[in-house]
Amino acid sequence: MVDFARVQKELQECSRDIERSGIKVVPKSDANLACLLGTIPGPIGTPYEGGTFQIDISLPDAYPFEPPKMQFTTKVWHPNISSQSGAICLDILKDQWSPALTLKTALLSVQALLSAPQPDDPQDAVVAQQYLRDYQTFVGTARYWTESFAKSSSIGIDEKVKRLVEMGFPEGRARSALETVGGDENLALETLCSG
Amino acid sequence: MAKRVLCKFFAHGACLKGEHCEFSHDWKDPSNNICTFYQKGACAFGSRCRYEHVKGSRAQSSGSSSSANSHQSLAFDSALAHPSRTASSGVALVPGTLSELSAFSSPFLPPPKPAWSDSLDDGDFDHNEDDDVGETRSARPADRAICSFAAAGNCPRGENCPHIHGDICPSCGKHCLHPYRPVEREEHMRTCEEKHKQLEALKRSQEIECSVCLERVLSKPTVAERKFGILSECDHPFCISCIRNWRSSSPTSGMDVNSALRACPICRKLSYFVIPSVIWYNTKEEKEEIVDSYKARLSSIDCKHFDFGNGNCPFGTSCFYKHTVKPGSYVWKFHRPPPRRPPPRRSDTVRMDALYEMFEHLEELEDYTPGDLDIPLEVQLLLMQLGLYPSDSSDDELNY
Repeated sequence: MVDFARVQKELQECSRDIERSGIKVVPKSDANLACLLGTIPGPIGTPYEGGTFQIDISLPDAYPFEPPKMQFTTKVWHPNISSQSGAICLDILKDQWSPALTLKTALLSVQALLSAPQPDDPQDAVVAQQYLRDYQTFVGTARYWTESFAKSSSIGIDEKVKRLVEMGFPEGRARSALETVGGDENLALETLCSG
Repeated sequence: MAKRVLCKFFAHGACLKGEHCEFSHDWKDPSNNICTFYQKGACAFGSRCRYEHVKGSRAQSSGSSSSANSHQSLAFDSALAHPSRTASSGVALVPGTLSELSAFSSPFLPPPKPAWSDSLDDGDFDHNEDDDVGETRSARPADRAICSFAAAGNCPRGENCPHIHGDICPSCGKHCLHPYRPVEREEHMRTCEEKHKQLEALKRSQEIECSVCLERVLSKPTVAERKFGILSECDHPFCISCIRNWRSSSPTSGMDVNSALRACPICRKLSYFVIPSVIWYNTKEEKEEIVDSYKARLSSIDCKHFDFGNGNCPFGTSCFYKHTVKPGSYVWKFHRPPPRRPPPRRSDTVRMDALYEMFEHLEELEDYTPGDLDIPLEVQLLLMQLGLYPSDSSDDELNY
């Protein structure tokens, strides 16, 4: 049985501190406190700056004696985060978990992971390889992914693609146009028209 | 030196003091035949007691030589003729104290310990020097009890109270320090201060939160939960249930028992044991005191794992509980702990008896090594329990 009294306290504490940390945790539904949604801002001075990343949190029955399960729902380009599934490779979410950690501190650690990738212990081998071999490309891709998926304007990127397709552009071209301009629908339209 | 009371050891022909005895070795002197237990308030023999049940042996008529004290008391007792009457009155009205009481014209009975009982406690074998001061005793302020009303907080008589009002104790603020008994004063001040300290510590402890459940430890719903778990190696507070839960939780994949579970959840310092305590400490000395007193308490309790030498305690020599070796036990015979076995479950015993015959059949197949037999795992386990099937743990049993 999850210790809901503690979860409740954690949520309160987190919302009290939201101004300073920018970290938000809310239950997906009021009925079940074991399924939560966390939000972290991309750390400043990294390719993730300006993005807002959503993390799906589910609490195991033994919480807080077992780590919470966390997974990015926002797509992230990072050596330690799966670009496909959003799975996070972080020791405190596995064998280094401690019951003194909270959802907020765990999310802070995830945020810190964004600013300090560990390519030697990768979750996504492709990203890690790129990080090690061609750092500039990595930064570009990471920034592009942030622009595309982690900005409020880019949240409905599929919808934008759909609208461009409705205008008569092929989906692949529409998507790539959107990606090159960083998700701005009008700029993408211009690109498509001029191209 | 007047030796008025017959020495009772001498009367039995066994006084080791001889000439130096304070009591009379002269058969002409009367023996002191007063029951001291009765005087202190409780003689188990009651009416069957062979000593006299008289209250107040210290008769002190003014002006009498105090060394004649006991003798006087006897005279006084016999003068009373009906000792039971004095007894029934509840208080011993010894002439000395009588006059004292009448002088105060007080209906107040002196608090629990009557003034005379103090001097009586010194017993019948009192030294002469004690007797010498005997007369002045009741008058000596140190022998007078302080007013119990004032000590409890408020004496309705105030200034007019015939009893001594104690000085104010700086810790508890009550008039309970006897002005003329320095030892008692110090004793009280010391215990009072300790109590005060403990109270302060308890107050401070109220505020402390457990970092696992995020609740105040001393505000948990049930009394059993309102305890701290003190880690041996660091000073981070947890409630006992949380820290025990964490330390005994089944490690999730990859979690190492020693580096993760045995470590402090906050600083990750490895601690080998947790001590329960209702109070949180402030200083290193206080922590040591808590730990030491806990260990001392446990070391007086027999270890149930060790089972007086018949069981195997997983903590070995570092166990906090007492390991008493009973003659005839395994350890007593072999000077080493018995091999580890799972504790027999009560529900299994009947079934095992029923299966025992079957095992005897298996034993007959001696040509086969047990490993060759196609024995189901459950049966193998049962065989291990019976010591018929070799396992790692029972191997060493055969090796000595």
